Amino acid sequence: MADLTSQAFAAVEAPLAPSRRLGRWRAAMPRGGLFAALLLAAAVLYILVPMLAVLLYSVATRWTANILPDGYTLAHWADGFADARFRTVLGRSLGLAVATAVLDILLVAPACYWQRVRNPRIRPILELLAAIPFAVPIAVIAFGLLQVSGQIVPALQGTPWLLLPAHMAVAFSFVYWSIDASMAAAGVVGLTEAARTCGAGLGATIFRVIVPNVGPGLASGAILAFGVSFNEIALVQILAGDRFETVPLYTLNLLKSTDADFNVLAVMTAVSFAITLLLSAGVVFLNRSVVDKRRAKA
Amino acid sequence: MPRSSLRARLVGLLADWSLALPLIAVAGVMLVTPMLAMIVASVTTDDGTFTLDNWTKTYRALSAQRAVLNTLGLAATVATIALVVGAPLSWVVSRLTRLNRAMHIGILNVATNFSGIGLGFAYVATLGAFGMVTLLMRRVGLEASPPPQASFWGLVMAYEYSNVPLFVLLSLPAMSLLRDEWWEAAQTAAATRLQFWRHIGWPILRPFLLADWLLIFTWSAGMYGVPVALEGDRPAAFRLVTVEMYRSLFGSLFGERRMPVFAVSLMALAILSLLAYRGITRSGNRWLT
Repeated sequence: MADLTSQAFAAVEAPLAPSRRLGRWRAAMPRGGLFAALLLAAAVLYILVPMLAVLLYSVATRWTANILPDGYTLAHWADGFADARFRTVLGRSLGLAVATAVLDILLVAPACYWQRVRNPRIRPILELLAAIPFAVPIAVIAFGLLQVSGQIVPALQGTPWLLLPAHMAVAFSFVYWSIDASMAAAGVVGLTEAARTCGAGLGATIFRVIVPNVGPGLASGAILAFGVSFNEIALVQILAGDRFETVPLYTLNLLKSTDADFNVLAVMTAVSFAITLLLSAGVVFLNRSVVDKRRAKA
Repeated sequence: MPRSSLRARLVGLLADWSLALPLIAVAGVMLVTPMLAMIVASVTTDDGTFTLDNWTKTYRALSAQRAVLNTLGLAATVATIALVVGAPLSWVVSRLTRLNRAMHIGILNVATNFSGIGLGFAYVATLGAFGMVTLLMRRVGLEASPPPQASFWGLVMAYEYSNVPLFVLLSLPAMSLLRDEWWEAAQTAAATRLQFWRHIGWPILRPFLLADWLLIFTWSAGMYGVPVALEGDRPAAFRLVTVEMYRSLFGSLFGERRMPVFAVSLMALAILSLLAYRGITRSGNRWLT
């Protein structure tokens, strides 16, 4: 649900006044300046301080009394990456997230294309399905799947083979919105008609005309799906449990244990911070290029 | 002849749906069946006969009432703080210069996405017994200590970390609806800033801000990762519906079918607020044309 933000971002980029006008606006509201600056500074601090604390924890030797650690070391990072469990968990999460993203693209892109060029009756069904993970808590879906799979395929519990389709299902909304928007922007109906008029078959139309035109939409959809899967905990914990430990579950297990090495936990949290940061940057970057293109066309 | 035309119609129908079928199948099985299973489980006994006992038994228990009230209270508090802090923040961000705005939106975006278990650890590293801010407060001689992580205010602080930025990102598009000319016109008519906001700014933004409040409220009520990370297995922790569901996995409550009742309650809340959300935004959208 958090990844909705990229939609918000894409939406807000469009109707902007040029900065020259903003300058005039500022001049008209002189008293807004100090309050605005304080509010922004407070918000940025609130966001950055915990990130800084995690980062410092991951390189601290001892940190019990002062505002900053007593000393710094890279030993925790070396320890973390030398630990087999740490590496397994990280690799497993990355693999699951990549698989979720790739399979979601393969599932969603053809469906989006088909609802535009062939059968508009597909749309209401997909929109209804896409609204489910958006509104219904993932924990509810997770507990429901636990019950259903327990009755039908209990052997799948604790394996990735139940978790992977579950992640695909809860991540698909974001992929759907992203790809559908990019197909609308690219005008796939017109492109398809033009390609077919020129004698291209369905395969050639899709791979040589449509895919190159909706590239950024596919990429940002994949990133969003990756992010959902990588950070997801309810399905992982309830459907797979400790037999398939991912990064969030590892973090949770260490948080709950009393003798855990919090510095290594900080390393893992910093790594997932960094991955989230890269993903967000990627989505923002991709959406900006789409918006710029749209603006250039207009 | 009619048979072959029937077959042709079937083939045509299949072709009309073909490329969407895999997605509909996966999403349908993985999203719709669990919801149906929860509904059925909440109104049947172990041998499959219909009953409403699960509901009455669950909600007659004080602990369940507590959990529901706590969940709604927490969600309302989180959403209200997100509105009160997020709306002005969103206004400020919407009026920044382009480069500045891109940077701030980037920071907000990261905070929004960092809302899972990692946030639980970040809370401990910042406000825990040896957290950075705790140490800072002790250093400057402040007696007050941050709220414990499994308490109401501890949870509120952790929830706001992702929800205030989320509120800003959700409400940013609406902020661009307020046209600069209106403020100039209001000034020409000798309006004060307060009057501008009361008679022009708030009435236009209200539907959008209320819709965003509703989304944050609904999502906060259904949050799972953060409360489980912060409360863990602490027995005296603040009761929440999602945490109670998690505990029913391991505890003896499983036989009581309390979990499906909670699950269906959360589903009902989600559906109601989605409908309300549609209604509210429709009334606001007339300003968009």
